[in-house]
Amino acid sequence: MTDLPGYPSRRSFLKASAAGAALSGLALPASAQQQPQPVSLDEYQREYLNADEWAFIMAATARLIPSEGDGPGALEARVPVFIDRQLASDYGTADDWYMEGPHDPNAEPARGWQTPLNPAEVYRQAIPAFDAWCQETHGAAFAELSPEQQDASLTSLQNGDVALAGELREFWGLLLSNTKEGYFADPQYGGNHGMQSWVYIGFPGARAAYREWPERHNVKYPLGPVSISGERA
Amino acid sequence: MKTFLRIIGGLVVLGVIALLAFIFVPVQRTAPAKELAADWQPEPGQGEYVMHASDCVACHTAEGGEPLAGGRAIASPMGTIWSTNITPDTETGIGEWSYDDFRGAMVDGIAKGGTHLYPAMPYENYRLMQEEDIRALYDYLMAEVAPVQNEVQETQLSFPFNLRFGIRAWNWLALTHDAGFNPVGTSDLQDRGQYLVEGPGHCAACHSPRTPFMAQDGVTASDDAFLTGGVIDGWNAPALRGEGSAPQAWTVGELADYLATGRNAHSAANGEMGLVVEHSLQYLTDEDNLAMAAFLKGIDGAEVEAPETVAAAGPIATPDPEADDAGRETAELLISADPEMPLGARLYTDNCIGCHFASGKGAPGLFPELQDNHLVTGSETAPLISVILNGAEVPGTAKRPMTLRMQGYAERLSDDEVAELATWLRGAWGNDAGPVSPADVADVRDTDATH
Ligand code: HEC
Ligand code: HEC
Ligand code: HEC
Repeated sequence: MTDLPGYPSRRSFLKASAAGAALSGLALPASAQQQPQPVSLDEYQREYLNADEWAFIMAATARLIPSEGDGPGALEARVPVFIDRQLASDYGTADDWYMEGPHDPNAEPARGWQTPLNPAEVYRQAIPAFDAWCQETHGAAFAELSPEQQDASLTSLQNGDVALAGELREFWGLLLSNTKEGYFADPQYGGNHGMQSWVYIGFPGARAAYREWPERHNVKYPLGPVSISGERA
Repeated sequence: MKTFLRIIGGLVVLGVIALLAFIFVPVQRTAPAKELAADWQPEPGQGEYVMHASDCVACHTAEGGEPLAGGRAIASPMGTIWSTNITPDTETGIGEWSYDDFRGAMVDGIAKGGTHLYPAMPYENYRLMQEEDIRALYDYLMAEVAPVQNEVQETQLSFPFNLRFGIRAWNWLALTHDAGFNPVGTSDLQDRGQYLVEGPGHCAACHSPRTPFMAQDGVTASDDAFLTGGVIDGWNAPALRGEGSAPQAWTVGELADYLATGRNAHSAANGEMGLVVEHSLQYLTDEDNLAMAAFLKGIDGAEVEAPETVAAAGPIATPDPEADDAGRETAELLISADPEMPLGARLYTDNCIGCHFASGKGAPGLFPELQDNHLVTGSETAPLISVILNGAEVPGTAKRPMTLRMQGYAERLSDDEVAELATWLRGAWGNDAGPVSPADVADVRDTDATH
């Protein structure tokens, strides 16, 4: 988990940036848009996940990129929405992936996707299995555990200490990378709400306009990001 | 071309005079300025070349129809005017037309049988063509174009515009210039250019203003208002002379590039001008495009230096587009990436700067300059709004095969944002034109949606 964005070391490093200030509302650019607020995560109409799965994704992503750091957490960035929509799409159904066997659950990780299940199926089968493990080990489903217990459970999952069926071996990797993607992808996919993660790290988004900047050493690029659909922050 | 039809507006006023005239004076065709020898023969290819230079195909071809077989609808407030079939089909085309009949249509706007043509057919300008060219064109149409049987819809305008004799009185006001060509005589090159611009090219049909009767105000080089700018179908056809006009701001070579390829170091030809390049000017020789450019450059006495070739082959060196004095302040604001910059500048930075650059100077032959660009600063704002919403495209030509295309921003920008951006562009880099309102943008969006 050390490479997770938003980990304390990086957060304090980025903290001083003007973009970080913009996020906190202190220096909102005159030209930032007033975006209509989307429905809260509680009222969000799920496209793929069921209620238990949603509770798990909310809880798990909130631990992977927590809200109490300096930058936005996964929930502020609406990462669960991103994951739900992706699983409902041709990503979830692995429409354009090579899905023929053989699948070898013991293959090196570098050998790629080693399960006949598509990502949506992996989530569907792995969440109850992992919840059952949490129940057995910590006495409650993942979403009901304390933050410390949740962190411990995720660490076990990452280290392979949770005995999941071979077909579910991709679960941890998926959960982690989908969380990062939901945090940093263009907002059109439901995550990175308000481009908060971009503002936070000072990434200016989809603007091909830096001709005059590469040679300006040690000068901060001050302008907030723009999304592919033209949203400004 | 639709706006040609506003011409007809003037007819109402003239109705009464027309009636009297119609009753008392017989219709007459202008006699040829020059009698050709009985055995006169055009050069091989001359007739087809004249057809390209005078752009008959543009109007006389229906959308997706056979070339020259007519049936293109030209909308007017009074109703639709249908262009006619000018292939040599004996029933539906001009197969039965004598040379004199044809000449009458070109020079006097009188069809076979004596009916007047609506001035949507630019006989005001073709009248200035040389006898040899009209004859070569006739021979070509009759002998080399295959007859196409195509009955075009009859034009039926509402009363009183359906009374074609009214055009007669209008012609008395509009056709005050003699038929045939009168060279100014500055140089052979410029005279050739004058001929092409005045006659076959009928540039004045769009680039001259209109009189209150909607006749062209300035048809020949001797008229003061000639090519001082017109409005056609909601587009500025900018002035082609005078301070700040493209021919004065550009070199002769750059101007010829624009005519031959629809693009140059400064601008791109869109709207009707794009069609003129696509259907007509790209087929002309380098000498002729240079001749027109030289004529336009020297029209008010400026010194003319013409290069040998147009749109030379090979890579174009793209200079680092530095802002000039007028553009510096804007360029510096953009480069600063200051979050407090006005919304228009921010929208330009977010959407446009990658191609048109902070200097507003674009890149030669690829991305038009937006500084001093007459599409940006024109009195008519719909073309600018439309380029932003729908993008624009200059088709490839023999010399510049690559299609030049800009994507549209209709999905990405709201009406308010387009208005902010357009207003900002009209004042950036020293541009000095009035604002654009969100309602203007909504109008263009709605019109596009209903087309
Ligand atoms: C700007 C559009 C335009 C261009 C360019 C144009 N025409 Fe026409 N022309 C028309 C229209 C419209 C009519 C029908 C007018 C009417 O019905 O009164 C017409 C009518 C004619 C007619 C009369 C035919 C008939 O059956 O009555 C002839 C002949 C003709 N054009 C020849 C030409 C030739 C040759 C050229 C090229 C040198 C040319 N036109 C270029 C628009 C155009
Ligand atoms: C049917 C109408 C029409 C005709 C005919 C026409 N033009 Fe144009 N022309 C336009 C329009 C409209 C524009 C503006 C195009 C744009 O904004 O991209 C234009 C633009 C131009 C420009 C660029 C001006 C500037 O300031 O950017 C030049 C040069 C030009 N025309 C020359 C000619 C010449 C030479 C002819 C005759 C051979 C001609 N045009 C015939 C409609 C016409
Ligand atoms: C990817 C490159 C690209 C981007 C980004 C771009 N343009 Fe263009 N633009 C072009 C090209 C290529 C043309 C020439 C096509 C044409 O005029 O038909 C053009 C043409 C134009 C013209 C017409 C100029 C003329 O001489 O007729 C205007 C105005 C314009 N762009 C404005 C804008 C604005 C405003 C934006 C931002 C909203 C923008 N462009 C973004 C490439 C681009």
